[in-house]
Amino acid sequence: MKPLRLTQQGIVFSIFIVLFAGFSAFLPGFLTTANMLTLLQNVAVLGILGLAMAIVVIGRGIDLSLIAALAVPPGVVLQLVQDGDSFSYALLMATLLTLAFGLINGWLIAYAEVPSIFATLASGLFLAGLGQAALFKLDVVQWSPGLSGFEKLGQGNVLGIPMPIVMFAGACAAVGLFLRKTRLGVFIYAVGDNPFAARATGIPTRPLIVLQYVLAALIGLIAGLVLAASVNSMPTRIYNSTLIYDVILVVVLGGIGLAGGRGGVLNVVIGTLLIGTMLNGMTIMDVSYSGQNLVKGVVLLIAVIADSFLNPRNEETAQQGDI
Amino acid sequence: MTHSITTRWVGRLVALSALVCALAAPAFAQKGLDEPFQGPFKKALAGKTVGYVPVAMNFDLTEGWFAVLKRELEPYGMKVVVRDANWSTNAGAQAITTLISEKPAVIVVHNPDVQTYAKLIQRAEKEGIFIIQINMGSAFRSTAFVGANWIEIGERDTQAVVDFCKGKSNKIAVVQGALSAAASAYTLKGVENVLAKNPDVKVVSSQAADWDAAKAKAITQTVLKQNPDLCGIVGFWDGMDIGTAAAVKEAGLTGKVFVATSGGGEQKGACDLVKSGAFDLDLSYDVPTQGADMAALVKWLVSSDMKPGTVKGSVYTTLIPVTKANAGIDGTCWKLERLKQ
Amino acid sequence: MKEVVLRLRYRYWPDHLLGEILSKRWTETAIPVIVLLLVAFAFSEAIPGFLSPNSLADTARQAAEIGFVVLGMALVIVVGGIDLSVGSMFALTDFCALFCLDVLNLPVPAVAVITIVFGALLGAVNGFLIGYLRLRAFITTLITLIIYRSAYDLLLFDYSNTIAAAFPDDAVWDFMGGGGVFGVPSVALLYAMVAIFGHVFMTRLRPGWHITAIGGSRRSAYNSGVAVRRTIARCYAASGALTAVGALFFAARLSTVGGDVGVGLEVTVLTAAVLGGISLGGGRGSVARALVGTLIVLLITNGLTTLSVRGGVNRMVLAGILLVAATIDIRWLKNRTRIIAKVYVSPTFHHMPALLGPRVGQGSRFEQNDKLKDVSLIGLGRIEAPEDVILDRHDNLYAGSRHGDIIRFFPPDYEKMEVYAHIGGQPLGMAFDRDDNLYVCIGGMGLYRITPDRRVEKATDETNRSLYSVNDDSRLRLADDLDIADDGRIFFSEATVRYEMHEWPVDGLEARGNGRIICYDPATKTTRTVLRGLKFPNGICVSRNGQSILFAETWGCCIKRYWFEGPKKGRVEMLIDNLPGFPDNINLSSDGNYWLAMVGMRSPALDLAWRMPGFRRRMAKRVPLDEWLFPNINTGCVLRFNEAGDILETYWDQAGVNHPMITSMREHKGYLYLGGIMNNRIGRLKLGKADPDFVQYETRWRKSA
Repeated sequence: MKPLRLTQQGIVFSIFIVLFAGFSAFLPGFLTTANMLTLLQNVAVLGILGLAMAIVVIGRGIDLSLIAALAVPPGVVLQLVQDGDSFSYALLMATLLTLAFGLINGWLIAYAEVPSIFATLASGLFLAGLGQAALFKLDVVQWSPGLSGFEKLGQGNVLGIPMPIVMFAGACAAVGLFLRKTRLGVFIYAVGDNPFAARATGIPTRPLIVLQYVLAALIGLIAGLVLAASVNSMPTRIYNSTLIYDVILVVVLGGIGLAGGRGGVLNVVIGTLLIGTMLNGMTIMDVSYSGQNLVKGVVLLIAVIADSFLNPRNEETAQQGDI
Repeated sequence: MTHSITTRWVGRLVALSALVCALAAPAFAQKGLDEPFQGPFKKALAGKTVGYVPVAMNFDLTEGWFAVLKRELEPYGMKVVVRDANWSTNAGAQAITTLISEKPAVIVVHNPDVQTYAKLIQRAEKEGIFIIQINMGSAFRSTAFVGANWIEIGERDTQAVVDFCKGKSNKIAVVQGALSAAASAYTLKGVENVLAKNPDVKVVSSQAADWDAAKAKAITQTVLKQNPDLCGIVGFWDGMDIGTAAAVKEAGLTGKVFVATSGGGEQKGACDLVKSGAFDLDLSYDVPTQGADMAALVKWLVSSDMKPGTVKGSVYTTLIPVTKANAGIDGTCWKLERLKQ
Repeated sequence: MKEVVLRLRYRYWPDHLLGEILSKRWTETAIPVIVLLLVAFAFSEAIPGFLSPNSLADTARQAAEIGFVVLGMALVIVVGGIDLSVGSMFALTDFCALFCLDVLNLPVPAVAVITIVFGALLGAVNGFLIGYLRLRAFITTLITLIIYRSAYDLLLFDYSNTIAAAFPDDAVWDFMGGGGVFGVPSVALLYAMVAIFGHVFMTRLRPGWHITAIGGSRRSAYNSGVAVRRTIARCYAASGALTAVGALFFAARLSTVGGDVGVGLEVTVLTAAVLGGISLGGGRGSVARALVGTLIVLLITNGLTTLSVRGGVNRMVLAGILLVAATIDIRWLKNRTRIIAKVYVSPTFHHMPALLGPRVGQGSRFEQNDKLKDVSLIGLGRIEAPEDVILDRHDNLYAGSRHGDIIRFFPPDYEKMEVYAHIGGQPLGMAFDRDDNLYVCIGGMGLYRITPDRRVEKATDETNRSLYSVNDDSRLRLADDLDIADDGRIFFSEATVRYEMHEWPVDGLEARGNGRIICYDPATKTTRTVLRGLKFPNGICVSRNGQSILFAETWGCCIKRYWFEGPKKGRVEMLIDNLPGFPDNINLSSDGNYWLAMVGMRSPALDLAWRMPGFRRRMAKRVPLDEWLFPNINTGCVLRFNEAGDILETYWDQAGVNHPMITSMREHKGYLYLGGIMNNRIGRLKLGKADPDFVQYETRWRKSA
């Protein structure tokens, strides 16, 4: 009989259950279909970004440029349409920009061997600067009539389910299939688990790393389009926010270790649900923004500490470089 | 030798006749009058530098002010240099420090908060540099402040919401900026002032969205789900309240929930959105006016013989309420492209 | 003519310096430093007065504030972690300082102490979680970043107005915020002090080494007894305290608790640290790198802002420089050792006169014979690498072994053996002093002494550093052989200062005068270098007159005499030159002459190569190490020579079975004992016409007693 062991993902899931049950019991109006949909809708973009981050983290990297990829290429779409180009042309340009950006990221990390945290920090800064300096006239890129119909991506619904949730679900399914069912996805786990062993067995590790960052940037583009359609503009100033930390939290908290090779879509979903529940519940309780952050931080800390007690690490089992 | 004497004589003759002509000319021509003050004015301005330290470029307010300053001051030979802090207070403080050692005539400071630049502003005035603070004052009162009265904005926005709510649910929500930003705190004070006079109005939610449209949308969505009978929302900045409005629109409550906000009054950010029904009221602190006020102050200060610190005053901007009624009229809002021309 | 040019070029052009400079540890920081210089130069060209004292002071003030935070971050990265919460800690400690000053109205010294303690406590929370509870640093400090920041925002709400209204008037506070000494800002002075202490701490003190060790490999550090958890926890606390120092000066300068104080600071700080060359993952970093990184980031951002560059372009330029610098830096660090390996070997011109071969029938003085045929063997297969052998006055035989031991064989048959002393490094030359202390040269360690009661003591392991040497030549790399003068002074040779012991053949390829002779005086316990620039000085023997030593230069293929006393004091004379082989140890013989071992023989190929430094350089660069030319040490001989340098007799092992490889020999009571550094045996040869009572100790020490 195997003793019951709670993994970090299990702990986070338990906390989610406890919070959810607590809110349902004590917060009137929490456990309604409408509110559930709102809850999910509010974290959908975060969740999509979490999927992008998950791919990279599983491959033993980290992508801090994700917010730039979220803000700039979709901003380009809005800006080009505003300037009179057609929507399809704008979308094409944004996709090309995203592809180029992902390729450069990947090249820097895989071939120039710059540590991913530093490479993406700098490349994100570059892309944000490029947007500020050359691409956008103002940092809030406004909606324009040429985009009509496109706002459905953020504000429409399918069978009563808001589009952002549908997009998140779709992205989950796609990334899940990619990671578990395709050869490339499995290779990414291999590379994340032990890059040198992966290379020794003949896996093309470098192109795979490039692929991770290209995929992450493309998913970032999708998240950005959903965001833009949802708020009817692209507030590129979002780059200055601490959104990236929330994305990392969702991923790492869900149980995808930064050492790579572990975890999957489920972990992202669990992490996203926990954050979403907390934010939604506290918004209903009208807790101030800083208060929400404080509570969020403490809950997360409890989760991490609980994990450390249930799955103790020591000097012998610790993996080098797993910071 | 002879040749040179001849030349000298010819020279004297020409000079003499020129003198005669010059003396005689006024008697025949229409007389213009030399305005005695424009010369010194031009001289005082020419070659002087105005430093401009916004919290960041690339958004409607700072780009607009900069465009107006350049348009107004450069023809007089003044140089307007921008030091872009790009959302970093530390970089901004360093930029002002550097500017002080460069000794421009005037520094136009856009404070990110009431404290960070206060000491530096004090130092700059001590070193003989005029400081004009724009839209966000600091704890230290300098020669001039040009900008919106945040408390008034809060009051007028809230009043509009309260008026709309009369006879309805009387439930309103407030979407603040960042807790730590003074502009946000001042606006909140204005909101509170009005609410104190209207005890029947109930605030169901008052939260900070951190100037982030996505957060504003998330908060508003949740609030609307909890209180479908909400009748009004006071937002603190139109750039952020695009999210608020999107949530209202998604809930199908456009027209039923009054959205009041404020901003710089740029065409796309204000008038277009009011026209589309996203906002019901957008108080505009008209950027071109603010820019013109600043430029006027610069001209006045530089051409006067005053020393910095001897006088302190404020120019509060007269707000333009943008509503459905005037949003469609050309001129209510301004366009950046036109300012830059 | 061509050879003259070649000789002059190689004599005066310091080829070897490039490799020596590159192998300095500080060249690892070369790329960031170059970037810094380029950036500073570019901006000083573009902005008038950029490098003026005023402007520098302004930059220094800001750089030092952030510099403190970078130091803390560097410490944490070196120990193998990361601290993302520095920005929030900066804000909280900034608040703490202003709260104490403006709300509680405490005196400035108390404010400083409280703030730093508060910062250390904030850091200690991280340290406790990461060090003792073994949480992951990245996620933990990310969470504390959020918690600290929201705590700051909540506090701010209540007190920001009070703090904003206060304009504290305090001389000390103003000095901290805007004062300085001779134009150097106060904060920069403190930073300099802390940085110097930090450098000493990290490079010279035990706790600093522990930190680097943990970062390099936590598991190994744990297994070697380092208090891993406590050290890690303290690093985070130190990071908090250093952040608090930065925040304290920031508070003094701007007196602000604005909303975005410290927002994104962690990114700036991390950028500075990584750009300076502090590698994420731990174990590598220094104070200098932290400083260089900080300056690069600040100069770029401030310089571009001053140039009125817009924020977006500023970001692009900063990011571009960061990426280019990081890419080059990583290439450099990765290939540095390879580049050093290519350029470190710098052969020089070395001309040898025509070779007088020892071949039979050529009639040379060195003609081969088979006198070593009848050598009997001691300790065959039981001893490894007896470079030198020596006998005491009780007939015990001592020899070194590769395992770091001195082995003692007992008379009369030398069958029984024991480990006489364990030293740890490979023993080379040996000599007894008057009091029966056995002095031994240990390769890689220095000069050691084994007392008669078998205690191992270090005599010396360093000498005076020469002024113009790039390599630190104060440490002894390859002490080789020694002898002891009548007054007790010990003269010993150090074969090369540029290579380790196992690389001795490479020194032969280089054929540069890398060796030296050093004198250790036990009376004063001082060590001085007496001769430099020798080509692999090896055997040393105090001559019979007691005023000079004879020494062998292995690659010089000669024996020289150095006068350390008497009328010729300080002079060096050639005794025998153009030997056909590579001379090794020299010792006394019973008939008043000297024994000399030849470890190997010259070959025409190596002689030719020695005259072609370019050829050898190309070989060193292009051919793998194990295919390089190698001096022949398959065969050698023992010979006897007299005070005038005449060769009297040679002993060869023509069949090459018993003792072809000889590095030393020692005569004792009618026998000659032979050692060889590649051998697994000691040879013993009965000498025909030798004094059967000859004991080296008596000869050396009784005559003067």
